[in-house]
Amino acid sequence: MLTMHPTVLVGPADWDPVRLPQAEFAARLAAFWGHCDPAIAGAMVFGGPHHHAELAWLTHFTPKLEGAIALIPRAGAPRLLVGGGANMLGAAKPLTWVETLLPLRDAGTTIARWHDEIGGLALVNGDAMPFGLRQSIDAALGAAPLDATALVTEAMRRKSSRELAMIREACAGLDAALSAMYDAQRTRMALSDVVLAGERAARQRGAQDVRTLFGREGRLAPFTALDQAIADPLQVYVAVRQDGYWAEGFAALSQSALPAAEQARATLTEALRLIGPGAPYRAPAELLAREVGAGRMHPVTRNGFGGPMGLALDAPECLTTASRGHFAAREVFSLRVGLQGDGGAAVVSAMIVITETGHDVLWPGATP
Amino acid sequence: MTFDERLKAICAGMAARGLDLIVALHDGAHFIETPNPVTVISGFKSLGPAVCLLRVDGAVTLIVAPAWDEPRVRALCRRGRVVGVDDVVDGLRAALPPGKAAGTAGLDAAPYGLARRIAALLPGAVAADDVVFDAAARKTGEEIAWAREATRIAERNFAHLLAIARPGMSEDELAVALRLHAQSLGAEDNFLLLCAGPHNRAVAPSNGRRLAEGDIILAEITPSCRGQLAQICRTAVVGAAPALLREKYALVVEAMNAGIAAACPGARLADVCNAINAVLEAQGYGEYCHPPHIRRRGHGLGFASVRPGDVAPDNDTVLAPGMVFMIHPNQYLPETGYLLCGEPVLMGERGAEPLTRRQAALAELR
Repeated sequence: MLTMHPTVLVGPADWDPVRLPQAEFAARLAAFWGHCDPAIAGAMVFGGPHHHAELAWLTHFTPKLEGAIALIPRAGAPRLLVGGGANMLGAAKPLTWVETLLPLRDAGTTIARWHDEIGGLALVNGDAMPFGLRQSIDAALGAAPLDATALVTEAMRRKSSRELAMIREACAGLDAALSAMYDAQRTRMALSDVVLAGERAARQRGAQDVRTLFGREGRLAPFTALDQAIADPLQVYVAVRQDGYWAEGFAALSQSALPAAEQARATLTEALRLIGPGAPYRAPAELLAREVGAGRMHPVTRNGFGGPMGLALDAPECLTTASRGHFAAREVFSLRVGLQGDGGAAVVSAMIVITETGHDVLWPGATP
Repeated sequence: MTFDERLKAICAGMAARGLDLIVALHDGAHFIETPNPVTVISGFKSLGPAVCLLRVDGAVTLIVAPAWDEPRVRALCRRGRVVGVDDVVDGLRAALPPGKAAGTAGLDAAPYGLARRIAALLPGAVAADDVVFDAAARKTGEEIAWAREATRIAERNFAHLLAIARPGMSEDELAVALRLHAQSLGAEDNFLLLCAGPHNRAVAPSNGRRLAEGDIILAEITPSCRGQLAQICRTAVVGAAPALLREKYALVVEAMNAGIAAACPGARLADVCNAINAVLEAQGYGEYCHPPHIRRRGHGLGFASVRPGDVAPDNDTVLAPGMVFMIHPNQYLPETGYLLCGEPVLMGERGAEPLTRRQAALAELR
C-alpha cells in the first residue's frame, strides 16, 4: 500500500547477527547465483530510501538517507557504495553485514572498472535508480546491463522461518497499534491523538517504521495537520515494520456497531477459505468482486484485494481477478475487503502465510 | 509573492523559452534535497507519482496516482483540473496535447522506470527545471508563514530532546521520540539527522549506538508543515561541557553571525559563505573550511524548491527579499569534532531575519 514517504527513515535498522545470521544471507546469495545466467560475474543491487527491498534482502542494509549500490561478485566479498559521502560510512556500518563500505561517488566509473575486472554484470532494482544515475551507469558500461530484479523478487516471496518470525512480530506491533487507537478513541481523544497513540504503541515495541493513513467516512489520507475533532467511525490503515519486515492492516474503528465493517469482515472470512497452496490468486479476488459488487466497491480495493508482504510495503497487488499466479507455501499476503454504501464505508483486512496444507492467519484483523 | 504571481512568472519564463507546455514530474519519494516541481506548480505534496501539466496560458492539469487519492487532491488543489489514475504515464498520454513545444522538470531525479516512460512520450522535450525552480526562489507569503510554524516546532522539538535524552538511550530511540513529538505538534514530517559520539566526523542518520556520558549530540531538526521545511542545527553535550568545547562552539556561533550579517539583498550566497569562512580562517581553521570537511554553509529549504541553493563559494545567486534558507557553519574542528550550529533565515528588505526565537547555543544535559 502506498503511504506518504518520509524524508529520512527514522527507527532501529541495525543488523543483528543473532536474529539474522550471516548464513541466512549466504543462502540467499547462493540461491540467487544458482538461478542467475552463468555468464554474469557480478550483480549491482540498488536501493534508495523509497524502494530497497532487494538490497535489504541481500545485505540487510536499509538506506535511511540516500541511495546505495551493493556490488556483489559471484565469488568474493561484496562492497556497498553508500550515498552521502565518506562521512556517512560510520553511521551506515552497523546496518549491514557487508564489511567494505565506500562512498557512492562517480558510480559509472567505479562500475565500469569493476566490469573490466570481472566481466558480465547484472542489475537489480535498476528501475528505482534516479534517471541521471542510471543513465551514467548505462553509458559507462556501453549498454544497459541484464536486469536480474525478477530473480530476486521471486526468491523473496517464500519466507524463511526467521523471516516469518519477524513478520509475526510486525503483526504483533500492528495489533498493539490498532488496540491503542481503539482505546484512545474510546476515551474520546481527538483524531490526531488517536493516530499518534497507535504509532507510539508500535514504536514502543521497537518498530523500525510505522506508516498510517486515516480519515472519516471510510476515506484514507496521510497526516498533514492536527485534527482536534473526535472521529467515530474512523477508518485507518496502519503499516508496521519490524527488523525490515512489514505488516499492514485496515480497520474501521468505532465504539458502536458498524454494519459495513461487519459485512466486510464476513466477506473476508469467506474469501480466506479459498486460500491454500496451489489455489489461484484470482479465486479470493473473484469471490470478493462478486460479493461486494462494483457499485459498492471501496476505491482502495477497486483494482485489487491485496498482495505479497515482506520487505516491501508497496509491492504490486497480485490478488486481482486478472491474476494468473498461484499461492505457494511460505508466501505471506495481506488480503483486504472494502465496501461503501448506505451502511457506511469500511475497509478491513487480514494477513496470512500459506502453509503446506492451507494457510495460517498471522493477523486476523482488528479485534476491539 | 503570491502563488498566482509565481505561476505567472513560470509562464513568462516558458514564453521566453518558446515553450507551450511544461511537464513536471515527481515520484512521491520526498527528500529534502530533491526539489519537487509538482509541488511548485500545484502547491500539492503527493502521496505517489504525480505529473503536472502547465500550459503557457497558466492552465494546470494535475495527474495523480493512486486513483483513490483523487478526492483528497481535489480538495487541496483548487486551481486546475485533477485526474486520478492508476498509472501517471497512461494519464499523461491521455492528457498530452499533440504538437506542442514541451519542457520537462524533475525528470533527472525521478526513478529510471518512470522517467524513461515519460521521456519516451516527450521525444523533443527540453529540460526546463530552471524555469520552474527559479520562479520559486522567493517564497510565497503562505510558505513563509509555514516556515515560521515549522521553526517553532523545531525549537520545541530540540527542547524536548534536552528533556528526554539520557545516557543509555539509543540514537534511534531518541530520534523516534523526536519524530513522534514533532508530529504531535503538527509537523507532517521531520527530516531529522541525529547522532552522537565523543568526536563526531559529521552529522548522520541515527543508528543503534547508545548515548554515553561526554557524548556530543548533533541534531539537525527539520520539521515540515504543508510542504514547507524549516531547520535548526543544534549541539548538546551529555554532562558538563569542557571549557575547550564551549570556546570552540562560541567560535562557530560567531562565524554563523558573520554569515547572517553578510546576508543582505544584493549580496551573493558566496559572500555569506566567505564571511563565515573568514572567521574560522582567522583562527587557523582554513583547511577545515573546504571539502572533505565542509562543502557548504547552508542551503535552500523546500520540499518544493531548494532555491536559492547552497551557501557555497561557487554560488553567485543574488539574495532578494522573500528568500528562505539555512545558514549553518556546521564545522568540523580537530579539537572537538563536528559541531552543529545553524538557523533558518528569511531575507527581508534590510537583511536576514533568523526565524528562530533562540539562537543556537551549546546545551548541556545534566
